[in-house]
Amino acid sequence: MILDLHAHSIKSDDGRAKVDNYCQWIRAKQIPIDGFVLTEHRQFDLDSDYSGLAKKFGLTILKGSEVETEYGHVLVFGVTAELMKDFDFTNIKLPLAKVIASCKTHGAVPVPCHPGRRRVGMSAHLEEFGVPDGVKIVEVYNGGSRGDEDSVAQTMADKYGYQGIGGSDAHIVSHIGRCATKFSTVIHNENELVEALTSQNFEPITNRGEI
Amino acid sequence: MSEWPSAKELKERFLNDIFDQQVFNLTSEQCVEYALACGELEPRYTDETHPDFQAPPTFPSSFRTSQHLPSEFPKLPGLGMHAGMAIHPRKPIRPGVDLTAKTYLYDIYEKTGRSGRMTFMVSRTEIFDPDGELLATADSRSVVRERPNQ
Repeated sequence: MILDLHAHSIKSDDGRAKVDNYCQWIRAKQIPIDGFVLTEHRQFDLDSDYSGLAKKFGLTILKGSEVETEYGHVLVFGVTAELMKDFDFTNIKLPLAKVIASCKTHGAVPVPCHPGRRRVGMSAHLEEFGVPDGVKIVEVYNGGSRGDEDSVAQTMADKYGYQGIGGSDAHIVSHIGRCATKFSTVIHNENELVEALTSQNFEPITNRGEI
Repeated sequence: MSEWPSAKELKERFLNDIFDQQVFNLTSEQCVEYALACGELEPRYTDETHPDFQAPPTFPSSFRTSQHLPSEFPKLPGLGMHAGMAIHPRKPIRPGVDLTAKTYLYDIYEKTGRSGRMTFMVSRTEIFDPDGELLATADSRSVVRERPNQ
């Protein structure tokens, strides 16, 4: 199963894509993914229910978040109401250690995203803050990467033994599925996504040359 | 001011307090002029004799408040720019009546990106008719981002 693990809808302040339109695009353009995760900026969208859209288009639509730390941006999969009480998702200076500890307590998975990016990527802060404890997975393919950002991410992942995922970081419909993650199991919900990420049976893929 | 206050601090001090209030009385000519400038073809926007004549829904984008932030709002030490506008029409805006526009800070939030730290301010202008009916809201967004050397 292939999921784009990093996408934004109009629920994000800079998102310009409606979830319905992502679904239509995926089917109309035969984008080679089976679903996507909405990782809205600095929030978790508790309210929206995409099960109807998922059924209509035969896609898996899950929800996560993208929070901001001193090491840059971090995707969080498996967000719960309890986790949301543990730290302020709107805080742009969250301590990464706190995010990782909270995720561990509440069964979520933190994944630093676009880590090769200046200012908001983890690699840009290693010299200042050191190598953080507890990071196991990073996003090595990001659909919004420029220049050598993905190779910087991959080099860092290789150096520290991190596993890699892929996500489009789509903010507009035509970017969905540019990068994604291939799992060996079928994933229906956020709990199964957390299990799959924890099991380590996945690999990042990029579709940038094809779509 | 060299310190960059957090969005939380700014929200606590400035959110939801009306800092600008003005009364407008639109003329038919202003409405038609705006409609034609937008390329509008609908007679209800371009023909003042039309029985449903009204200003186009985006007309509130042309309203100018006397200030776009509260007087006491700190000058953030970065580069400021306009960051978009959203109009929410609710009822027709018609010429010839006094319209009251009240403006307040509706939201303040911050984020980080390739260019560094950014603070966004969303000023909301609510437009009321003489009976106090809300006709439209116009959200004007501005952003201040870190200077490259910050």
